[in-house]
Amino acid sequence: MSHLRLVTPPASQASSDVACLDAFQREVDYVYRTLRRLGVGSSEVEDLTQEVFLALRGAWGAYDPGRPLRPYLFGIAFRIASAYQRKRNREVAFGIVEVGDAGPGPDDALQSKQARALVLAALERIPLPRRAVLVMHDIDDVPVSDVARVLAIPLFTVYSRLRKARRELQSALRRMLKEADAR
Amino acid sequence: MSRPPLPPEVRALLDREREVPPLPAAVRARLVARARAAVAAGAVRDPAAPRTAPRVRWAAAAALVLLASAAGAAAYGLRARFAAMPSRPPAVVVPAAVVAPPAPAASPAPAATPAPAEQPAPHAAEAPRLSPADAARAELRLLRQARAAVARQDFAAALAPIAEHARRFKDGRLAEEREALRVKSLAGLGRTDEARRAAAAFEARFPRSVLLPAVSKMPASEP
Repeated sequence: MSHLRLVTPPASQASSDVACLDAFQREVDYVYRTLRRLGVGSSEVEDLTQEVFLALRGAWGAYDPGRPLRPYLFGIAFRIASAYQRKRNREVAFGIVEVGDAGPGPDDALQSKQARALVLAALERIPLPRRAVLVMHDIDDVPVSDVARVLAIPLFTVYSRLRKARRELQSALRRMLKEADAR
Repeated sequence: MSRPPLPPEVRALLDREREVPPLPAAVRARLVARARAAVAAGAVRDPAAPRTAPRVRWAAAAALVLLASAAGAAAYGLRARFAAMPSRPPAVVVPAAVVAPPAPAASPAPAATPAPAEQPAPHAAEAPRLSPADAARAELRLLRQARAAVARQDFAAALAPIAEHARRFKDGRLAEEREALRVKSLAGLGRTDEARRAAAAFEARFPRSVLLPAVSKMPASEP
């Protein structure tokens, strides 16, 4: 019988895999949530979380451990979500996030869940490049200079996208709340 | 930095979203196990690396498949509750190579992951007799046997559970992994033509699979 040649990576690869896995394990909740914020549907988010990990692993050598990991992960997640959205080609109606999906629970948890669902649904209505800036800066608290670096766009563009995204978020929320009241 | 202020109610909503909600334990376990399995399996695809100690890595991969799918099985009942949600388009798997940030030249894709990218519901002949959770466990058991055999390089022994899985769960949740294992086993047995055909069938059936780059190389990887 012929033998399949199986190989193990060199020691440096193995230790970088350990570090990468460790980092992923710590931030998997963040990656998952970021993809949801960037419009990835609940049925695809696990697969794309795995894609983020694979991309992270491939790029681990380029990651500077002196810098915070989350913005770096966000950059990867953003690229993956963008490619996903291009493929999906906007064929899904926006705003079908599970706003009414909250199950029974304590009032506060329910409210919190609804608030989160509302924010996700409102974010869906902001075009992805602007949404990414808003999520990074207004939700993740990443300084604008880091937003510019991670998304590889000029500082001025960050500010203009942020301004516009905030306006879009407000009007989306207003519209959604009005729709909810009308029902 | 100058911020056009957000109205307080909008700010309050964003503040709610600021905290990252913890994932359900089963989802988390599945995601981490998939990542681990990808690393373990990725070792197979590095042609430049020294060739040592494959068994341990495959055994680890197999164990992780078990863990991930057990978690998946446990979560199955939960998933079913969401079946009534609005239907979505089929899963779109973006090839890592397309979207990866600037990276070192060699970024091996996984040779196998426990949860397939495209997941048809478990059904086929087992559906009337097994609950979804039981079916998931049964699928898992078969593929665990297959993976353990591959880990031992006993490729002939791997083909039996693969065939049984194909018979009982033709379009099961782990069909994608089963077909990847089939290609690997055939290649391992030196049945190169069959391995090629199986790889072509895999590509036709799972054109967006993250396993595809690994599967495509398997028939050629044998002496």
